[in-house]
Amino acid sequence: MFIARSEYDRGINTFSPEGRLFQVEYSLEAIKLGSTAIGIATSHGILLGVEKRVTSPLLVSSSIEKIVEIDSHIGCAMSGLQADARSMIEHARIESQNHAFHYNEKLGVESCTQAICDLALRFGEGADGEESIMSRPFGVALLIAGWDDDGPQLYHAEPSGTFYRYDAKAIGSGSEGAQAELQTEYHRSLTLEEAEQLVLKTLKQVMEEKLDAKNVQLASVTKDKGFRIYGEDAMAEVVGRLESN
Amino acid sequence: MASLMSDTAAHSDALGYSFSKSIPNPTSHSSGPRQHSFYPYTDNGGSTLGITGSTFAILAGDTRSTSGYNINTRHAPKVFRIGADDPSSRIVLSVVGFAADGNALKERLDTIVKMYRYQHGKAMSVKACAQRLSTILYSKRFFPYYVHAILGGMDEDGKGALYSYDPVGSYEREQCRAAGAAASLIMPFLDNQVNYKNQHVPGSGEGHALQQRQVTDLSQDTVQGLVRDAFTSAVERHIEVGDGLQMMIITKEGVQEIFEPLKRD
Repeated sequence: MFIARSEYDRGINTFSPEGRLFQVEYSLEAIKLGSTAIGIATSHGILLGVEKRVTSPLLVSSSIEKIVEIDSHIGCAMSGLQADARSMIEHARIESQNHAFHYNEKLGVESCTQAICDLALRFGEGADGEESIMSRPFGVALLIAGWDDDGPQLYHAEPSGTFYRYDAKAIGSGSEGAQAELQTEYHRSLTLEEAEQLVLKTLKQVMEEKLDAKNVQLASVTKDKGFRIYGEDAMAEVVGRLESN
Repeated sequence: MASLMSDTAAHSDALGYSFSKSIPNPTSHSSGPRQHSFYPYTDNGGSTLGITGSTFAILAGDTRSTSGYNINTRHAPKVFRIGADDPSSRIVLSVVGFAADGNALKERLDTIVKMYRYQHGKAMSVKACAQRLSTILYSKRFFPYYVHAILGGMDEDGKGALYSYDPVGSYEREQCRAAGAAASLIMPFLDNQVNYKNQHVPGSGEGHALQQRQVTDLSQDTVQGLVRDAFTSAVERHIEVGDGLQMMIITKEGVQEIFEPLKRD
């Protein structure tokens, strides 16, 4: 992917003569180094799954936090530079709380995604009088899952600031293989339990380590329970079901 | 002229009109310390009311605008459609009190409702708009919009919705509410005619045994009649109310605006 280096590599906000922003494109590469994350939207709810890279047997795997809550009805999985996601999540949480405060209703999932993407291109020098918050683009991609008045939805937000809605999407290092798997396996009538198995099965195929209950994390968003992270017991049970198949 | 002004002020004090606060004449206290003051509010009189039924909401107001004993205009509407460029909008706001603040508040809410549609890709619900109006009013807690606002619309279940506010954003969903100069004249009438307060079932007993008359669902024609009666009566007894009656009738089909004459005396 590395094209010949040119002057346009360094100017953060400078277009190359071919009309490209190299730093933004490189940030997309950073995501391809990240751990795999998968989201599947079903009519019963949305399922998020991530691979946790437990790099040492001394590492406490529960301290790896790659799926987080934005609001009671919106959750988010990430891949790429974890630390960059923190400011995006913080922004989304504030936006969601502000919306509830001002309008006495839950923030829409698309509006939440848009709010996150509004941050994405605020790097570089910043316009006159406007405070710039980052020196470089974000190095993280997000899968945003939520349930609002329009039902279950899954969005993919990139560092370029664009976002798309997906039925099923994989990001991170194993995304190519995982996306191909999702494409063949996805259908509209998936149940949440089937989605659990599909996420785990797909992760298993693209992970380097052997999948177990400690090195993957699942979360769901449903109408009744909202965003819910799978605890250790729930993870063990779901992974156990995968192995018995 | 100055003495004449303070004279009328003293008279109106006794009558209890809203413009009765007398302004001290600075020339009469030329010796000693002088107090300066700035009072940026005016009371432009007028009255509004709102009543809901199960399939509609009506907001109404007179169209007179006053300053003291003067009439600024006989046609200053107090009831406004909010986000009206979207034909699906069913939100109406009435404001009474200081007209400049009322207009500013209306413009602000209208802009917010329009922006909400662009940002979230859907029309704002009355419930959301009600909360937003409250936060707007409270954001000016220490320099308030000097108005009593009433917000009307259709709720998510297709029922008429009515929210009434104090000037700093405290609000409540209600069946009916009168606001403005003649509120104290109209509200008891509405209590009696809409919620049947102090109406009892004849012969149901004596004292505490008396049964309250059961509240019924009022038809649109009945409510329109009540609005008309409320205003024609208020016009008789309050000098700041009159000239014209503006009614906004909100149903799931749309918002209909009706103007009718009131006494111009």
